[in-house]
Amino acid sequence: MDSWDVERLNELLEQDVELREKIKEQVTDLDKKTRNMVGILNKIHSTPPQSIPGLLDCVRPILHSCQTTTAAMAVLIPPSQLWRWKEMWSNSLRTAIYSAALVEFLATGKLVSLQQVSQILGIKDEWRDRFALVVEDYLHGLISLVNELSRLAVNAVTLGNFEAPIQISIFVKDLFAGFSMLNLKNDTLRRRFDSLKYDLKKIEEVVYDVSLRKLAPPPTERKLTSNSGEVKQ
Amino acid sequence: MGVAHRESVVQAFDEFRIELDEHHDRRERLIKIGRDATNLSKKVIFLLHRTITEESNDNSNPYLRVARRGREKLREVQALYAQMKHEVQAERFWHYHRAVSPGLQEYIEALSFAHYLEHGTLVSYDEVQLSLSDENGTPYFTLPKEDYLLGLSDVTGELMRYAISGIAQKGGRTRAREVCAFVRQCKADFERFTPYVRELSKKQAVTSQSLEKIEDAVYAIVVRGSEYDIPPDMLDDIIARSISTSSVKLRLSHRDAGSGNEYEDEI
Repeated sequence: MDSWDVERLNELLEQDVELREKIKEQVTDLDKKTRNMVGILNKIHSTPPQSIPGLLDCVRPILHSCQTTTAAMAVLIPPSQLWRWKEMWSNSLRTAIYSAALVEFLATGKLVSLQQVSQILGIKDEWRDRFALVVEDYLHGLISLVNELSRLAVNAVTLGNFEAPIQISIFVKDLFAGFSMLNLKNDTLRRRFDSLKYDLKKIEEVVYDVSLRKLAPPPTERKLTSNSGEVKQ
Repeated sequence: MGVAHRESVVQAFDEFRIELDEHHDRRERLIKIGRDATNLSKKVIFLLHRTITEESNDNSNPYLRVARRGREKLREVQALYAQMKHEVQAERFWHYHRAVSPGLQEYIEALSFAHYLEHGTLVSYDEVQLSLSDENGTPYFTLPKEDYLLGLSDVTGELMRYAISGIAQKGGRTRAREVCAFVRQCKADFERFTPYVRELSKKQAVTSQSLEKIEDAVYAIVVRGSEYDIPPDMLDDIIARSISTSSVKLRLSHRDAGSGNEYEDEI
């Protein structure tokens, strides 16, 4: 090999190593924030409904602070190289997405959209080729949300909140209907999607228990729809 | 919430499905093209081996022959990458890198083997990139340095085959020594890159094995050559003469004995 070529290649590869280090720093930073959020959000299992808004107010500033990290990463990643480095932060970003989705559900009962999460995390559309929130990561975040909600359905009942499981059941079924529309390949997303049915089953059992014992509020129209599917699931 | 919520969820997932399907389909297409590139490149390598060892009737230079035929065949692989171009623009290249990478490495191996036979040097990064560019010199995609190095590393195995199978030919012994020195230099050059490219260490181990085989072959040449104090060219001639007389004899005996005795003759 030409000695000039060797030097140049060496230099370029060295630059990649430095870049990797810098990205890693940011990922560690993002990780700290997401772990912090997950820690606080864990308390939802032991927090009465009236104290939930206060808990969410503790999470929101941290969620917001992720914007500085995403902005820093967008600066680091060279143009068109999103997919070259994405694996480094996928996990942390998924946790951030999960946190945003859980906060939204607890605050409004609604599903946070991909665009909304991007906005919350300050991910700009013009970074598309460097740093972006891709569908796959968003879906992974939602599956984590369902996993957590199945636990919440159980623990809410323990706290005396009999309405929550029904609300969760409807929400999760809507999500499941969405996931069922996807043609998933044999990858991690597919495997995690396959596990959703156990969460669904667990939630349905809780709904069944509280309905049968008349613990839940008087039947409304939406409760009836949520019950109709439960035996088959 | 209620019905309205379900509808908005379904609508959002409808879009996700379209996006995910597009991604999977594109990936499949690229894997197919990549496989074609791998197969064609392997054929190029065989063609090069055949062409270089072929006994030509006319006294044409085998290296020019190799250059001509190899380049022609390599153009077919390049055409595949030209075809791939519109699928791997901007951030897409890295998205599908894993689908594209194996074929790319095989192509680089074939290209660098042809290049060595023609020029006796390693093909440079820029030369490979240029071969993957359109007539205006616009690259179909930016060649990853890792794939370039890994493709090059594979060529040492072909060089080993070339050196050893060519030993019986005229000039083969000198050539084996040249290849030996070349592969040794390659191994030394690549060693510097092993900390940066993970798979390269594994390939270096294969290169070491190939190198050792060439070294053993060269050793045998030197030891036996030392027994006769004559220049290698003359040695070649002596051997060539005895091969040609015996092959004539062999052909004659084949004709006489028919198919029945063929076996004994070969033994």
